[in-house]
Amino acid sequence: MSMDDTTAGHLQELRRGTVVLGCLVRLREPDYGYALLESLNRIGITVDANTLYPLLRRLEKQGLLTSEWNTDEARPRKFYRTSAPGEQLAADLTADWKNIDRALARLTSGDAR
Amino acid sequence: MNAPTTTLTDRYVWAATRTVPEAQRPDLDRELRERIGDASDALVGTGRAPADAERMALVELGDPAAVAASYVDRPLQLIGPRYFLTWWRLVKVLYAVVLPISAGAVLLAKMLSQAPIGESFAEAFSVAFALAVHLGFWPTLIFAILERSPARAPDLTWTPDMLPELPETGRPGRLGDLIASLVFLGLFAGVIIWQGYGAPIVRPMGEPVPVLSPELWSFWIPWFLVIIGLEMVFASAIYAWGWNWWLAVVNLLLNVAFAVPALWLFTTGQLINPEFLDVIGWPWGEAGGVVTTIIVFAVIAVTVWDVIDGVIKTVRGRGGSALALGRI
Repeated sequence: MSMDDTTAGHLQELRRGTVVLGCLVRLREPDYGYALLESLNRIGITVDANTLYPLLRRLEKQGLLTSEWNTDEARPRKFYRTSAPGEQLAADLTADWKNIDRALARLTSGDAR
Repeated sequence: MNAPTTTLTDRYVWAATRTVPEAQRPDLDRELRERIGDASDALVGTGRAPADAERMALVELGDPAAVAASYVDRPLQLIGPRYFLTWWRLVKVLYAVVLPISAGAVLLAKMLSQAPIGESFAEAFSVAFALAVHLGFWPTLIFAILERSPARAPDLTWTPDMLPELPETGRPGRLGDLIASLVFLGLFAGVIIWQGYGAPIVRPMGEPVPVLSPELWSFWIPWFLVIIGLEMVFASAIYAWGWNWWLAVVNLLLNVAFAVPALWLFTTGQLINPEFLDVIGWPWGEAGGVVTTIIVFAVIAVTVWDVIDGVIKTVRGRGGSALALGRI
């Protein structure tokens, strides 16, 4: 494994949970898979379609997202929306994220020692 | 949308949906069409031809069977990490224990029924081969089904009690074993040769009578002497390297090579010199059959124990549990 692969692997691991958080926050406004994919990647939360679509299905199965088919247009699309438990999880994840950020900041500045 | 594009999508969707349960098909069908449509539209937006865009979208989506499997949470491996170690230990135990015992039993049975040696070995080999296929197939099938059953399996989790003992490192302890083995084997070979020339039993007129049938000198007595020589080499190997799985297997083979022909010759009356039997007055009335049976069972018991003893020492030495047979 080259150094770049190692870096890429660790970055992927670090970002894995942030995609969930990104989806939960972004889907307070209902949206469909491809639009979500584009908007997440545009704001810098990089995610692959083969990761995002199964993730959406998993979050729906866990009751964190609800879905509805929109058949108004020629192509029917599944619109996802963050549920109440999803909102709760998003709040918990955000709080934890901030804790980790503070902890890392202390480590970097040397206060923790 | 032109015709060929639609066809490719339809084929992909059909290939993916046909393996999921009926009730979930319409949903997966619509989700895939949405995803393929949006992805190829985006590619067309970057200036690609619709047909190329369609194809690229499908390539990115990947194997439809994998997409369907992830949709219904179906495992894509025969036996996953949850059961792999249990399956692996079971298969190794079956191969290490059942296979040699069965092959040896078939070999002995064929020889007892007076079958030619070549035919006996061929039969034992073919039984062992068929058994190996069955022993590999059935546990794997059961574990593959277990992997796909929704209920949690019986608790097979690892506990610290399963930790192996550390290997014994005492080479000095093995030196005693080596000396005992070499002395015993040397005496054994000496007795076999000695009984042929200057025998312990003599006729009334003073002429020595060999215990073993003199005809065996043409093949079987040299065979047994060679096996005894190999046993000596084997004892030295144990001293040098300690027990390991290769040597445990060699031990098994040596035991089979010795005990199976010996029992065959003995039970078919070819082993003991008839003249010798005359001199000692065999059969001793009713006791004859009982003595023969006792001797046969004693030989089998000693042989089997020696093989098991080797396996036990290997397991302890290698620091494995009784289930850790293998790494052969």
